[in-house]
Amino acid sequence: MLKRALIYGKFRTNGIYGSFENGTRWSRLMSMYPPHYAEPIFKKDSQNMEKYELAKLSHVPIKAALNSSSDTIFNAELKQKMLAYIVKCGNSRLARELLTKTFEQIKRAQIERKHLVKQDNGHAICIDAEKLLIQAIENSRPLLQLSSIKRGGVKYQVPVPLTSKKSYFYAMKWILDAAKEKDRKISLSSKLAWEILDAAHGQGRVIKKKNDLHRLCENNRAYAHYRWS
Amino acid sequence: MKMFRKHVGSISRISTQLQRGPPTVGSIAGLSTEAEAAPKQERVDEKITEFRTAITNPGGHSPLQIAKFYTIPAEEKKRIFGGGGLPKQYELQIKTFTEACLMVRSPALELLQYIKQADLSKPVVRYVLYGENGVGKSLTMAHVLHYGALHDFLLVHVPWAPNWMKRPKETANATGQEGFIDLPFDAAAWLVHFKTQNAQLLQKLQLKTSKDYVWSKRESTPTGSLLTELVEHGIARIKYASETIAAVISELKQLSTAGQCKVMVAIDGFNAFFHPETRIFSDNKQRVTPDRITLTQPFLNITNYDWTNGVCILSVDKIAMTEGYMESYMPRYLLGKDGFEHLDPFVPVHVDNYTDKEFTNYISYYVDRFWITKTAPDLEDQLKFMSNKNPYTLMQLVRGL
Repeated sequence: MLKRALIYGKFRTNGIYGSFENGTRWSRLMSMYPPHYAEPIFKKDSQNMEKYELAKLSHVPIKAALNSSSDTIFNAELKQKMLAYIVKCGNSRLARELLTKTFEQIKRAQIERKHLVKQDNGHAICIDAEKLLIQAIENSRPLLQLSSIKRGGVKYQVPVPLTSKKSYFYAMKWILDAAKEKDRKISLSSKLAWEILDAAHGQGRVIKKKNDLHRLCENNRAYAHYRWS
Repeated sequence: MKMFRKHVGSISRISTQLQRGPPTVGSIAGLSTEAEAAPKQERVDEKITEFRTAITNPGGHSPLQIAKFYTIPAEEKKRIFGGGGLPKQYELQIKTFTEACLMVRSPALELLQYIKQADLSKPVVRYVLYGENGVGKSLTMAHVLHYGALHDFLLVHVPWAPNWMKRPKETANATGQEGFIDLPFDAAAWLVHFKTQNAQLLQKLQLKTSKDYVWSKRESTPTGSLLTELVEHGIARIKYASETIAAVISELKQLSTAGQCKVMVAIDGFNAFFHPETRIFSDNKQRVTPDRITLTQPFLNITNYDWTNGVCILSVDKIAMTEGYMESYMPRYLLGKDGFEHLDPFVPVHVDNYTDKEFTNYISYYVDRFWITKTAPDLEDQLKFMSNKNPYTLMQLVRGL
């Protein structure tokens, strides 16, 4: 268990959740904490901060860290989020097993690739499955989305920018959806591994889906002003 | 016959995978891409002293090599472990790492020392490997098996005995004995395994049978025919495979007692032979006990101490049992009264979790093979804490890193 001493925190600005890009803090409507509570910092290496920062925090109440947030090599923010999306019916053990197997297959595939090309530039191949997952998610994040807005009795598909939180959500959802669209005999882990590898290299169905959406938004750029007028 | 082909097919697949990667030294050299030839050589040496040893013959292993990896040459791996013997997950690792490496660990060295010092003219000594789940009993056995294969032991190796009790390929009523069950495909597969492991040695020794074996009216194996002929007959006539195994094993006992050959018996999951029941059903829909299976008898026969010029390495394993019989890993519990009395007296060899040095070396090996690419300052501590230094748990933890 984490000690209370580890939990002192600050306002997170670098995370993907917790704040909007315009600086206003985002919090749940039904949160048990009032909005002035600070996020906990449970990662050891982000606890080394300047004195004045610590002084700022010393009188700010801080949220308790979540049970699942611990500073291990097995946890990573995006990985945990992906895990949460894989879970079905609360069976998070199964989800973790699936993601572990996915990572295993990614590693095996990459190592095999590395051995194949070892003569010239084998070191260029990334084997870290977590990095590849993050790369895949970053690559498949959409910038815009179409939302239908009614103007003068006609519905227009208006391109709307996405918040970073939403774009991460779509990226992970698309990757997972693509992985779920498979033959019954293929396991989710292997398909997910291939989808992640594809997306990390900027190809595959998820990237295509993102590009299609961007193209549609581009085509409907004439309606963009309906967002505000 | 189809199963059989599958079996043989898998052997050939493994072999092709192995051929893809050259053995250790070459592959390490190949991995350091940026260096030129001369510094490369230096680096290889450095790595070998770090956590690898260049001694590929288990006979040369001494406590100096403890916690170091040695490479099983692809040819030998294919010959000895082609039909099983290495755990499935380990085979997968071998494929990914493009080399078959085993760590030299103290239980294996202990066993090797016993075997080297044993007086083979005395009745066989039974060594029983025991330990918690996933501590490396099978791999210890593999290490010793490799020694046996290189030192002119005829191998009588059962890769995983519970397979016969838990998931037999096919069952049939035995022709010879009333009320017994035959496992023809498994028996034939074992004969193939026996043949591939010992082909060279059998060729060299030219062992002959001591009596006539009459299989049916038209088929028989006369006295003085080669042991390989007997084995091949069993493979060709699957119906008689179980009886052939009994014949081969009793012949081996006689031959080794006569001093014509040395025999190494290695049976993984030996306690399966003493499990209260199997998953096989007889004609009257009742579960059969292991002693009613024809394959059990010869292997109990050869683990008896009434012959000489051999060694028996047996392992008792919790997962060889089924639910309800897995409380303890101790030989007395797993073997039960009958099994314990059958083996008594035996030499127990305890296999334990990694020591600190072994653990560190394993981590460096994983890093060397790119299996761990994360670099956290306390990575090793965390893994140590999470896995309790248990080899299997470590393997399971590291795969998702």
